[in-house]
Amino acid sequence: MALLEVDDLKTYFKTREGEVHAVDGVSFSLERGKTLGIVGESGCGKSVTALSIMGLVPGPGRVVSGSVVFDGRSMLDRKQRELEDIRGRDIGMIFQDPMTSLNPTLTIGTQITETLRRHLKLNRDAARKRATELLEEVHIPNAAGRLDDYPHRYSGGMRQRVMIAIALACNPKLLIADEPTTALDVTVQAGVLDLLRELRAEHDMAMVIITHDMGVVAETADDIVVMYAGQIVEHATTLDLFDTPEHPYTEALLAALPQLEGENVREGRLVSIPGRPPDLLAPPLACRFAPRCQYAGHDDCAGVLPALREIRPGHWVRSAHPASERAAHAVGAR
Amino acid sequence: MVADRRAEFEASLIRTAETRGQEAGAALQRASLLRDAVHRFSRNRAAATAAFAFLVLIGFVFITPMVVSASPYDINFENAYLSPSWAHPFGTDEFGRDLFVRTALGGRVSVEIGFAATIAIMFVGIVYGAISGFAGGWLDNALMRFLDALYGLPYLPFAIITLAIFGTPSFWPMVVALTVASWFTTARVMRGQIITLKENDYVRAAHALGARWYRVLFRHLLPNTLGVIIVFVFLELPGVVLGEAFLSFLGLGISPPKASWGTLAQDGYSSYQSHPYIIIVPSLAIAWLILSAFFIADGLRDALDPRTRSY
Amino acid sequence: MLKFIVRRVVWTVPVILLVILMTFVMMRQIKGNPFQVTERAVPPSIQRNLDRKYHLDKPWYIQYAYYVKGVATFDLGPSLVQRNQTVNDVIKEHFPVSLKLGLFAMIWAVLLGIPLGVFSALKQNSIFDYAAMGFVNSGYALPNFLISTLLIYFFAVKWRGVTGFPTNGFEGWHAWILPALALGHAPMTVFARIVRGSMLETLQQDYIRTAKAKGLRWRRVVGVHVLRNSMIPAVTAAAPLLGFLIAGSFIVEFIFGIPGIGRYFVNSITGRDYSVTMGITVMLSVIIIVANLVVDVLYGYLDPRTRDARA
Repeated sequence: MALLEVDDLKTYFKTREGEVHAVDGVSFSLERGKTLGIVGESGCGKSVTALSIMGLVPGPGRVVSGSVVFDGRSMLDRKQRELEDIRGRDIGMIFQDPMTSLNPTLTIGTQITETLRRHLKLNRDAARKRATELLEEVHIPNAAGRLDDYPHRYSGGMRQRVMIAIALACNPKLLIADEPTTALDVTVQAGVLDLLRELRAEHDMAMVIITHDMGVVAETADDIVVMYAGQIVEHATTLDLFDTPEHPYTEALLAALPQLEGENVREGRLVSIPGRPPDLLAPPLACRFAPRCQYAGHDDCAGVLPALREIRPGHWVRSAHPASERAAHAVGAR
Repeated sequence: MVADRRAEFEASLIRTAETRGQEAGAALQRASLLRDAVHRFSRNRAAATAAFAFLVLIGFVFITPMVVSASPYDINFENAYLSPSWAHPFGTDEFGRDLFVRTALGGRVSVEIGFAATIAIMFVGIVYGAISGFAGGWLDNALMRFLDALYGLPYLPFAIITLAIFGTPSFWPMVVALTVASWFTTARVMRGQIITLKENDYVRAAHALGARWYRVLFRHLLPNTLGVIIVFVFLELPGVVLGEAFLSFLGLGISPPKASWGTLAQDGYSSYQSHPYIIIVPSLAIAWLILSAFFIADGLRDALDPRTRSY
Repeated sequence: MLKFIVRRVVWTVPVILLVILMTFVMMRQIKGNPFQVTERAVPPSIQRNLDRKYHLDKPWYIQYAYYVKGVATFDLGPSLVQRNQTVNDVIKEHFPVSLKLGLFAMIWAVLLGIPLGVFSALKQNSIFDYAAMGFVNSGYALPNFLISTLLIYFFAVKWRGVTGFPTNGFEGWHAWILPALALGHAPMTVFARIVRGSMLETLQQDYIRTAKAKGLRWRRVVGVHVLRNSMIPAVTAAAPLLGFLIAGSFIVEFIFGIPGIGRYFVNSITGRDYSVTMGITVMLSVIIIVANLVVDVLYGYLDPRTRDARA
């Protein structure tokens, strides 16, 4: 049985202008010890999906339907108190901006030990010892001495490592990393990703990594889910996705990656996807990618919302014109 | 210093300056920003209601005496201490004078003093702050240190001392007394504004084009602080009106027969245990002014930069 | 941290000197003769003697020097009107009363204001929130004298039988309750509003989301993470409130017949008792300056970022 099973999750936000369908029918499952990558542009609903799993969707948003089953039990109909037990202990989460994700008025030590004391019931000294070990695990130099420092004494990369230490403190079965490297510069990024890889193996932890960076996901994920406008448009193993992407959006994402080798590299222009994502305020029941898709327009495919179908074993796609079918039906670009 | 911390309250206004500074520049842009702000303001129900209430008060204060026939100076002991009725909507005082008209006239005085003092505060504060911020360097430092010292002056005692210097309390002495210890915050905020705006690229561009300092100051910097200034007007006005009321209540206010809300309250004080409405009416008028001005200031602050809004 | 404190303390000395200077200069502008007890003018020879005794014949900077020396040795000079009393006597007699009143008022303000703010923020937009904020906002606008008189009217007059509060006279612990409430009301509203706003802002912060994601009990999230960061603006607000409190105390002491420093101040000004006026003003200034210092230090303790950032 999978560690995490999400089925037709829908999370909407009530606003003055109406309801925003931030997550509109997302399903996936994750096995123990595996890593799932969720990619997509800003606003496609990847973060909200993660927050929905944790029960941390802010204020005007709420999960309207669907199910989330973690370790055999449903998450959505739990009381807050039960969720509080699971969070931090069985599921850890790290966020995008390390500069603001730590409380500036508490020492790093306190912020680590409070988790330990809360979930593992350690006393003060044991908690401090464990906290020092955790800092060492994430390669913070002079860990014992830095325990009583305040966050502003740490650099961005170090703070993110602290966040990881906190998330892993109680040996959770699942780690959700929401854009863990986006706010860091490239060299620091590499260090953090290496660290995640190392810890994952050591703790045999499942991970969901959310990012808009295809490079990051290629390195860390076993399976990838591509989201667009609140829905999953493609789901495959990493190898399969990069080898034979099916959805026009995925293809465009991959094409947009700057190339260092290949023909015409010096003369060509950077490829970008024209247009913008649709407004998720009561979206129409139609193909959401159509306005930006280069294969739409020859037939009525734009007016119909395609279902997510398994085009190959283990490879799902939500498109009327996935790549492998285009050759067969000779659909050309617009 | 605490003065810095205090400035954090007004930091929301300074953030406004940053966004304004980055967006503004050409006069054309400014006009549409103003329209934007007006639009946002009118959509804010609390602020629009407050603005309406404020105008109603101003209208009451200025128009009523011209329209109503009852004279505020008619002493008629037979009519003393009448309760509110149709003929005398607010009742009468111990001399039989109609309170409705007296409150309106008193309001005129209070509001006039209030606006005069507020404008004086703005003027002093803006000049001081602008010089300090614009000059920078040692002058800025010195001026700010001096300002920090001024914060140590207790407001009311100094107002009272100022009044004593003038001898008899009439309009202008009162205005000066109220201004003397109230302009510090404005100066500080203005300085903060100017400093933030100074760093903007369009100012550098102006310099690069050879603009002289006064052109930069008057054409570029000051107009972009207008929004903040207007907000501050509505923030300072209540304080000043309340200050005048306090001074009058203590017996240091405008001499009769002219009255202000404060002196009316003082009159009412002598008989509040038997006829409380005499003190209640002018107090409520003051409260009305304070509340409406405050919500207008709030609304203006939101209208100028919705990002600083707290939900 | 220690360096920070020392620097701040050292700074207060020139500030106090400056404040004394300004007060001194202003006081000299007040016309009047403290020795003139009756309508008749004081005989010139007596005037000269009195002038010489109180150094009033020396140039102003000499007088200033004498005065500063006096302040340094805690000798604020003799009362010019009440010949057998020194200013220190006056202060010793009346200041403790005002101090107690101020303290009680602040305690009330904190005890009611902060919880109101906290719970309003936690239950944002609920009926409790609206009711509490309505109460707070209206309380803020109503002038001190109205609140005082209303309190007396209801609690001491109308419902006398129930509460047993006296209407005037100042005996027993009963007598402190109403004045403390009246004086503390405005500060209470300020605290409530600031705490609420600050908490709302803190609740939005990323680190609160992290705390929740760690699975901490909501009790702890609020008690440790939210409150600690929200209290900082409230602390900062405390110092300016002192000015509020001083001004308010003048009114409250007047109405409740409390023999405090505020009442004495007004009397000394009208009586042209320069030294008493100076003495009280200087003392109040020193209190304000020291209070600002304390708040600054407290702020440094509460917000670790400022400790290191301080140059």
